[in-house]
Amino acid sequence: MQAFLDIFDIYLLEAVINGILLGGVLALLALGLNLIFGVIDVTWICYAELVMIGMYGMYFMVQYYGLSYFVAAPLTILLVAVLGAALHYLVIAPLLTAPPINQLLATGGVLFVLQSFATVAFGIDFRNLGIRLPVLAFGDMNFSYARLLSFLAALIGMVAVYLFMTRTFTGTAIRAISQDRQIMALMGVDTRRIYLITSALGGALAGLAACLLVLQYDVHPFVGLSFGPITFLICVLGGLGNFIGGFIAAFVFAEIISLGGLFSDLEWGYVLAFAFFIVMMFIRPAGLLARRR
Amino acid sequence: MRLRMAARLVRGLLVAVSATGLAASAEAQDKAQEKKLKIGVIYDLTGPLAGGGSELQYTGARIMLDQYSAKDVEGYKIEAIYADAQSKPDVAINEAIRLIEQEKVDMLLGFFSSAQCVPVAARVEQLKKFMWITTCISSAVLENKNYKYVFRPQASGDQFGMMTMDFIAQNTKEKLGKDPKDLRVAIIHEDGAYGVDVAKGNEAGAKKAGFNIVLREGYSATAPDLSALVTKLKRAKPDVIFHTGYNPDITLLLRQAREQGLKFGALVGHGAGYGVYEKLKEGLGADVNYVFNTDPISIWLANQKSMDPKLPPIIKAVGEEFDKRKPGIAIRSAHVGMAASNTYLFLTDVLPRAIKKYGGIDPDALRKAALDTDIPEGGTMLGFGVKFHGEGSPMAGQNERSFPVVIQYVDDKSYVVWPKSQAQREAVLPLPKGATYSNQ
Repeated sequence: MQAFLDIFDIYLLEAVINGILLGGVLALLALGLNLIFGVIDVTWICYAELVMIGMYGMYFMVQYYGLSYFVAAPLTILLVAVLGAALHYLVIAPLLTAPPINQLLATGGVLFVLQSFATVAFGIDFRNLGIRLPVLAFGDMNFSYARLLSFLAALIGMVAVYLFMTRTFTGTAIRAISQDRQIMALMGVDTRRIYLITSALGGALAGLAACLLVLQYDVHPFVGLSFGPITFLICVLGGLGNFIGGFIAAFVFAEIISLGGLFSDLEWGYVLAFAFFIVMMFIRPAGLLARRR
Repeated sequence: MRLRMAARLVRGLLVAVSATGLAASAEAQDKAQEKKLKIGVIYDLTGPLAGGGSELQYTGARIMLDQYSAKDVEGYKIEAIYADAQSKPDVAINEAIRLIEQEKVDMLLGFFSSAQCVPVAARVEQLKKFMWITTCISSAVLENKNYKYVFRPQASGDQFGMMTMDFIAQNTKEKLGKDPKDLRVAIIHEDGAYGVDVAKGNEAGAKKAGFNIVLREGYSATAPDLSALVTKLKRAKPDVIFHTGYNPDITLLLRQAREQGLKFGALVGHGAGYGVYEKLKEGLGADVNYVFNTDPISIWLANQKSMDPKLPPIIKAVGEEFDKRKPGIAIRSAHVGMAASNTYLFLTDVLPRAIKKYGGIDPDALRKAALDTDIPEGGTMLGFGVKFHGEGSPMAGQNERSFPVVIQYVDDKSYVVWPKSQAQREAVLPLPKGATYSNQ
């Protein structure tokens, strides 16, 4: 009994809070992908590589050109937004009516192009922004300030995107397009423009994630490999296009990783998270917050 | 008159034809005589391992091969063909086979990652080709395999793990003020062949020394979060952490350790990411001060007084060439010297013997020549000697005389602190008060 009670120590609380903060990072990453993958039903398998390019953008602007972090961040968001729009214009638009597998393969190709581009252009070195944020300490518990920022950005981003999608004409048009691509043009909506706006918005959210991730991780051409698969799983687990679902799924995932890792081997945390995903796909294939039919 | 002219013409033609013939036959003879050793060289030039040290190893091997491709070795020209394993074992296998079957290389050299070495060595042995491993250290590459054609002058992973434990064991009482049984140690490692093998050595060494192992855990080098591991370390309160990792997992772990307030007395790394000081410094700043690393000694730190006198000028030349190729690096990485030394060993010891004593460069000649190698301590740039375990030994192909050393980074310089025979200064142990991770 005492051994059981010993588990409930300050470190358990720290792990729970760290799980929440990791959830913030994952939720932030999932936000843009959810918009693209979930709402307009376009598969950007190279989403994490857009984040990687954004991280490089931040690194060069801050380290090489001496811009302040707060000047570099909006420029990075703009850069990745343009990249998102270009990705749509050059790769996705010609494939919109093609089977989804073609989009998957084409953006898969973009993934390798971006990784190779980064390798050739920036080299294989790990680069660090060199900004050391203070540590938040509460008694024996310590937390990452950078992660807290990510958490807040994810929260504000989620609310903003939710309001945009439900309260604006463009947002409504984006949701409508996801229901029927063909019919919207007949309703007088410029579908090409809507796709372009959505893609730029998805890119901008990837840029926002890049601005915050670069405070926590080294940048290298393959940094996307650590986040890409998990971001997709979160979007699917939350229910495609469901921003609140995606937000919750990110925290569920992160807590399983964090607590699973605390009570067992770290690797088991990830195994449990993926096993949970598979089970949920059987029980709630449309996502955590889907209504039962 | 005409007849004379015709005769002169015929004579001229004959001379021309015979001259051409002679030239052609001389050319053919030259071609027949131009002997060449084609070496397939495989390291990771892209992917996460490239920045973790593999590209530096490639640079070290290349410096040496470039030098020797400009001159002959016992009448043989050296031609190196380079391939990128892209930090992936499957690519390493495919490239090894491509080099052997399509490029028709005579042998393979290189290999940074143990995860690549294990399958590639098995495949190369099947194909009966000669393989000279400069870097990867996992015991699993050679242990109980009884390979005939795979040789590794480099120390093996469990030797790394044992060496660091020995270092701490010898300093426990004096520096850490504890009995070995009271010393709390944590062993953490990336979960590939390399990390697992070093951790195995760590564990054996810890048991031998009688330490209290409070945590032993592996993790994936690409894990996006290690905060749960840091929390567990906080709970376990280790005095010394033994860590084996690549990069960027090392910087992620230590950054999260700082953010979560992890404290300890010493951090002992085991090569790979810990061998690339520039990257540690960039990612961790001053926190990297007083961190220990275990690797074959950097050739620039090796004790030159007890070394074969022909080697110091070569070490100097490698250093100058490295500075030319990678200007502005504060500490010349041990990775560069490791590959340069092991490549030099092959080109100056094994290869000449194979040609002179065993008549050529076929795998059997190279193998016999490698088994004949008998270099005493101080006979290589890395300080150790070379004698390979022969057939029938559980570690056939492994250099039985190699050993790593423990170095410590102090104020942007690295010093050998263990073993005592090579030590340049006393170790700073435990972490001094005021250091980010200090538990004092």
